[in-house]
Amino acid sequence: MLSIVGSVLAQELISNVPRKETLIVENPEGTIKNAGWFNIWAINAGGQSTGLQQLAMDTFWYIDPDKGIDGVWDNSLASEKPIYNKDFTEMTVKLRKGIYWSDGVEFSAADVLYTVQTHLETKGLRWSAPIQINVAGISAPDPYTVVFKLKKANSRFHALFTVRWNAMWMMPKHIFEKAGDPLKFSFNPPVSLGTYVLNSFDANGKWFIWQRREDWQLTTLARFGQPGPKYVAYVDAGPPDKRVIAQMNHQLDIIHDTSPEGMFTLAKQSRLSRAWFAGFPYAHPDPTLAAVIFNTQNELLKNRDVRWALALLIDIKAVSMASYRGAATISAIGVPPTGTHAEYYHRPIEPWLKTFEIDTGKRKIKPYDATVGKQMADLLRPSLGIQIPEKPEDIAKAFGMGWWKSDPQAATELLEKAGFKKVGSQWMTPDGKPFVMKITVEGEVRPVMTRAGSMVAQQWRQFGIEASTVVAQGTLAERRAAGDFDAIVSWSVETWGGHPDLSYFLDSWHSQFVAEPGKPQPARNWQRWAHPELDKIIEQVRGIGFDDPKGVELGREYVKLVAREMPSIPLMSYNVFTIMDETYWTGYPNAATAPYTDPVPNWGNTKYMMVKLKPRQ
Amino acid sequence: MRAYAAYLLGRFGQFLLVVFIGMNIAFVVTHATPIDPVEQSIAAATAFGSTSPEAIAMMRQSLRELYGVQGGLWPQYASFWKRVLVLDFGPSLSAFPTPVSALIWHALPWTVGLLIVSTTITWVLGNLLGGLAGYLRDSRSLRVTGLVLMGFHPIPYYIVALLLLIVFGYLWPVLPITGGAQMNMARGWNLEFVLSVLQHSVLPVLSLVLVGLGGWFMGMRSLVSNIVSEDYVVYAELGGVARGRILRSYVMRNALVPQVTGLAMSLGGIFNGAIITEQVFGYPGIGALLISAVHAGDYSLVLGLTTVSIVAVSVAVLAIDMLYPLLDPRVKVA
Repeated sequence: MLSIVGSVLAQELISNVPRKETLIVENPEGTIKNAGWFNIWAINAGGQSTGLQQLAMDTFWYIDPDKGIDGVWDNSLASEKPIYNKDFTEMTVKLRKGIYWSDGVEFSAADVLYTVQTHLETKGLRWSAPIQINVAGISAPDPYTVVFKLKKANSRFHALFTVRWNAMWMMPKHIFEKAGDPLKFSFNPPVSLGTYVLNSFDANGKWFIWQRREDWQLTTLARFGQPGPKYVAYVDAGPPDKRVIAQMNHQLDIIHDTSPEGMFTLAKQSRLSRAWFAGFPYAHPDPTLAAVIFNTQNELLKNRDVRWALALLIDIKAVSMASYRGAATISAIGVPPTGTHAEYYHRPIEPWLKTFEIDTGKRKIKPYDATVGKQMADLLRPSLGIQIPEKPEDIAKAFGMGWWKSDPQAATELLEKAGFKKVGSQWMTPDGKPFVMKITVEGEVRPVMTRAGSMVAQQWRQFGIEASTVVAQGTLAERRAAGDFDAIVSWSVETWGGHPDLSYFLDSWHSQFVAEPGKPQPARNWQRWAHPELDKIIEQVRGIGFDDPKGVELGREYVKLVAREMPSIPLMSYNVFTIMDETYWTGYPNAATAPYTDPVPNWGNTKYMMVKLKPRQ
Repeated sequence: MRAYAAYLLGRFGQFLLVVFIGMNIAFVVTHATPIDPVEQSIAAATAFGSTSPEAIAMMRQSLRELYGVQGGLWPQYASFWKRVLVLDFGPSLSAFPTPVSALIWHALPWTVGLLIVSTTITWVLGNLLGGLAGYLRDSRSLRVTGLVLMGFHPIPYYIVALLLLIVFGYLWPVLPITGGAQMNMARGWNLEFVLSVLQHSVLPVLSLVLVGLGGWFMGMRSLVSNIVSEDYVVYAELGGVARGRILRSYVMRNALVPQVTGLAMSLGGIFNGAIITEQVFGYPGIGALLISAVHAGDYSLVLGLTTVSIVAVSVAVLAIDMLYPLLDPRVKVA
């Protein structure tokens, strides 16, 4: 009876589109308020990861956060890598020929010129500011060559046009030049430079459906074959529990992210659900380093001994269990344990970490424990059995390598060295006041990081520090920028993932950008930390090419410096529980056999996934 | 009649005053929020992209100019009233430059449709069952009904909503658990679309009805319980008037007067949206719009939504006050 009623009530998930030809993906932006807005160049005017940037946009280059479909670097609209002059004041871009917009107009240097000129002439577009700061002029010697003249030397100017999640996308000149004010033009329907074109969308912003272009061969992605899904739907999948239910019902092929508990449920109950790792910790480690970031302009936290003492009070295993239920990939150093970084940084730097010493004032200690990743695996193995890897290299990939030992005695000595005193069970600052540490966390918006902050506060409190968490909710951005915190659980390190160059975040750490106390701090040096050695490293990086092997050496110098100074306590990569259902599609990326891209579907880089997906027979 | 006209005029003056005070409070509260729409936009725009600190400083300046949030509070207050008087709330700051009125217009019909249906069902059923339970106190089935309804009433709404979601979305997946209609279905006044909308509204409406019924039921039952012991009801029974007529014309009609006031308030409250319902069931509407506006510090949108809500509730109260003397002859206006 129930099944009869069920079949009567049941309705196809999507109307007029065959489910077997459709990939359904969660859009983490949720509901888009003004769904009919596709002008991605206007700041936050509409949705971005509705499929718009993944399927309809394109630019010169892509860097993959993992291994890449054909190497980490992909020349997309450009036919080769950026060509700089000797002093990095000029960048030449050679464009790929035979690429067409979805309305049949060929993409050419005229589009690039129009895009850059429009950003030069218009205030308030998404990329107006970096273009106006950097570009002195642009010219096109021929329809497939563009030359940028820069206002000052910039060896990383190409980063503006290199996708890591997004980048400056190209505008169709023939559409925008007739549209009037580019800030007020909705670009609906969007003309696409990608392999898909908009099929339909919900006026209330719940879903967007894209359809493979008939002329998909005329796009840059065609080099890798035909995209598998004929249709791709990006949907607001609701709260984490609903996403899990939807995937169990095979109504959501890719969950962007869910809670660790949701991941464990699907791993147990949904036979065809797959994640980045086949077993624990499942999640994809994004090239983002979650950390306890100190406000180093706070008088007490200017002293690195105090910062180190606080680091040595953390038991990272407990933080991992509290935040990710153990499914964390830890990092002791200022680089996320992601993509190719283990190969460039974590492994080469480990011998140095093993010998690295800090002076507590009473003795020298070696704070690094190379076995923490293994300890995490051993801790979880009794309850999770075969899901936990055995081989050391697999453990390192999944859980990370080592971390700092929890050493309250050394922390005591360091605080005493800094003039702190313990009175009864309470630590007092050098001027006799209780040592208070408030850790700002985002709250229910980001539960995993909030749980990490709560655990750190608890560990500091147990030691006698008056530590507590402050839930910032929607005000986190303001508080972080204003420096309104003692410590904050957030990230100030984001990298390319696949490429070892660290300038993506590191350049913004130069002392020239550190704001006065109380003034807004621009991204990403939230710790407001300045150091002459760091400035020297950054200036040297600015003077060398993107692929110069010296860049990795300088990157390692940075790693050693921040290990010594501890301006923020690195915790773990930002692990994303992206879960892919193989009921309708196979060929998703995974860590073991197909690390060809980041599966996290709001990344612009996930366009490469489309050509690897095949319908399940 | 002159007295009634004077009453109406006075009452209309009160209405204007309430709306004016309410909108002023809304303005002060929204502008006192620590969330800065410009910082929110910058945070969102730079959360993933590579942008230099110099560029961010320039972007901040451009957005302040673009959003028009540079002036002091008084110029913004004056501009707010200028816009309200021509029913224009300006552009949304979290979906710039889309007008606030366009965003509200897209979301409002869904909320109004959902809540009018659920409020009406809840009110009619709750009062009917409550009235019967109060009058037919010996009925076993009505007592059981009362127990069930009162059992649901204190359960937090989101628990009931989640239970329905799990039962009808997962254990017996026969009803859609998200959206207002089937994905990719062309909108229009055709049977297919209407059926799809109805099907998608079953769970949200059911959740609201289940939780809301108990309140109306209990209110009506206690009102009727008091009325049945009134002299005129006793005389009617002794006089041999049919029980059905007593219930309809003597009991329910009198008991309904305060319930009608409650209904008017509830219908006015429709414009507040159904925040949890919209979140849990992914249903389009102004509740979800309001939450997202608050998180983004979009005070233009928050002000637009609160203005609609203040005016709607005030109009509902005004309307019921105007109709009261007509509905209930015991109410005198002079």
